[in-house]
Amino acid sequence: MSAAADVSPSRVVETRGLTKHYGGIVAVDGLDLNVNRGEVYGFLGPNGAGKTTTLRMLLGLIRPTSGVAKVVGERPGTPASLGRVGAIVESPAFYPYMSGYDNLRLLAIYCGVPLTRVGSALEQVELTPRAKHKFSTYSMGMKQRLGVAAALLKEPELLILDEPTNGLDPQGMADVRNLIVSLGKGQRTVLVSSHLLGEVEQMCTRIGVIRKGKLVAEGTIDELRGAASLKVRATPGGKARELLEKEAGAENVTVLDDGSFSLKVDLARAAEINRHLVTAGVDVTELHVDERTLTDIFIELTGTEGGL
Amino acid sequence: MLSAFRGELFKTLRRPAVWVCIGALIILSVLIGYVLLGFVYAHPPKGSSSSLPAGTTLSVFLVTLYPINFIKSTLSFWGDLGGVFALIIGVLLQGSEFGWGTVKTLYTQRSGRLTMMAGKLATLAVMVLIMVLALFAAAAVSSLVVATLEGADKTFPAADEIIKGIAACFLIYWFWALLGLALATIFRQSAMAIGIGLAYALVLETAVFGLLGIGGGEWVNSIHQWFPIANVGYLIDSFGAVRIRGLRTSATPFADATHAVTMLVVYAVAFVAVTVWFSRQRDVTA
Repeated sequence: MSAAADVSPSRVVETRGLTKHYGGIVAVDGLDLNVNRGEVYGFLGPNGAGKTTTLRMLLGLIRPTSGVAKVVGERPGTPASLGRVGAIVESPAFYPYMSGYDNLRLLAIYCGVPLTRVGSALEQVELTPRAKHKFSTYSMGMKQRLGVAAALLKEPELLILDEPTNGLDPQGMADVRNLIVSLGKGQRTVLVSSHLLGEVEQMCTRIGVIRKGKLVAEGTIDELRGAASLKVRATPGGKARELLEKEAGAENVTVLDDGSFSLKVDLARAAEINRHLVTAGVDVTELHVDERTLTDIFIELTGTEGGL
Repeated sequence: MLSAFRGELFKTLRRPAVWVCIGALIILSVLIGYVLLGFVYAHPPKGSSSSLPAGTTLSVFLVTLYPINFIKSTLSFWGDLGGVFALIIGVLLQGSEFGWGTVKTLYTQRSGRLTMMAGKLATLAVMVLIMVLALFAAAAVSSLVVATLEGADKTFPAADEIIKGIAACFLIYWFWALLGLALATIFRQSAMAIGIGLAYALVLETAVFGLLGIGGGEWVNSIHQWFPIANVGYLIDSFGAVRIRGLRTSATPFADATHAVTMLVVYAVAFVAVTVWFSRQRDVTA
């Protein structure tokens, strides 16, 4: 893997043509990912799309077959990169015979972080009361929170969290989501992978959608949704179409399968269009703003329904 | 490197399984090596002396349990058998990382993979040293107790013999521990590594060369001299057998201590190279 020639200073993660083959299987296929400083980036895709493989490549756990990756401006997996990145990859893994506190102390020793950071990291994830208990006695939610505390220990510029709410109950999921949102405030960048659409919608400022190892879309949720349209159902259909094409222009009117119309117009004109139709003797039975949901986008891009 | 070593030591010293392993070796060495043998030698069962020269009883073997012989006795009894405990420690230190999934945790901290492995190797060396020192300390104390009970001489061997004995045992155990570490790295688990390691230590080499030895002659020894267990034997034999009145001393070993040390060091270096190569090259997918 050669070094990236030019990396934007605002880019915390940048990959170009990142590819991973396992024998004949292509797990990640020419991925061009861009994560900007200070954003909470949602890495979205169905199970098996290549999310975890990508994140492992960003951490140096997996060597790419080809392509270039830069993480905080450094080659993935090098001490210069790892020192500035905190991560949870799949389920958090710790030593079961040691307490949560000792596990964090261990990581603090490995990272050369002052031991005083351990207490504050535990406090940040509200795990202090159980800190002295063995890791093996922790619930799934507590393990996940300890994982987040471990990732925060280095006070990293970039947090990489792979499916951080996996296996949590609804309350645990909400807690972790809130935590991620709060961690993403300020200059810290969070790259969080998930197959849960609602979760990504609540947490992320920008998303990338991966399908069969390829990045099929990247942008803010609003960008991916595109402009909202006006949906109109009116009778008689022929007269309604004629009037709507006159109002919005023929190229901006689409007849949908159910006989209704989709109009690409300034949404502020909704009342005016309604008035014109009614005045012309057309009965309007339905008129509303039609905005694509993230689920619509996900299904369209990946051909699957994201878990909810 | 220092932080990797400190971290490895921190978690290894807190790991009960490691202490169970060391403790088991020490307890067995005292129970079998001194309590059981001491009792049998002091109170020989009827008929137990039939294979010994006329007028000789098992009680002449009590001398092997006295302080002057504690280095030779410990090496001849536990130099070989104790290796399996070192093998298990080597496996535990690496194999469990795969079992718990902590390899990814280790490799996503600040240091690179080679530094982390260097820390693990240094920690393994410390644990093996603790094991060897505890083994000889327990043997020294036990031999002193036997000598006191029997009213025998309480003189210990010369310091240089003690140091040489500890160094030899450390090399033997270090070799086994590194074999365990390499097997656990290759198989990415503990069970398979312990199984194959024990099969080799207890059965494979001994059985193969034992069978070849039935029909073979010098050529079997000339091949066997390059294998690890043979060299463990040469190194132990280089300390000589305890001289017992009325009994012939054992045959001179096929190769000397220099050959044995060289071969064991070569094997140790090879195991380190294998471990480092696999740790560095492999993707961490679990």
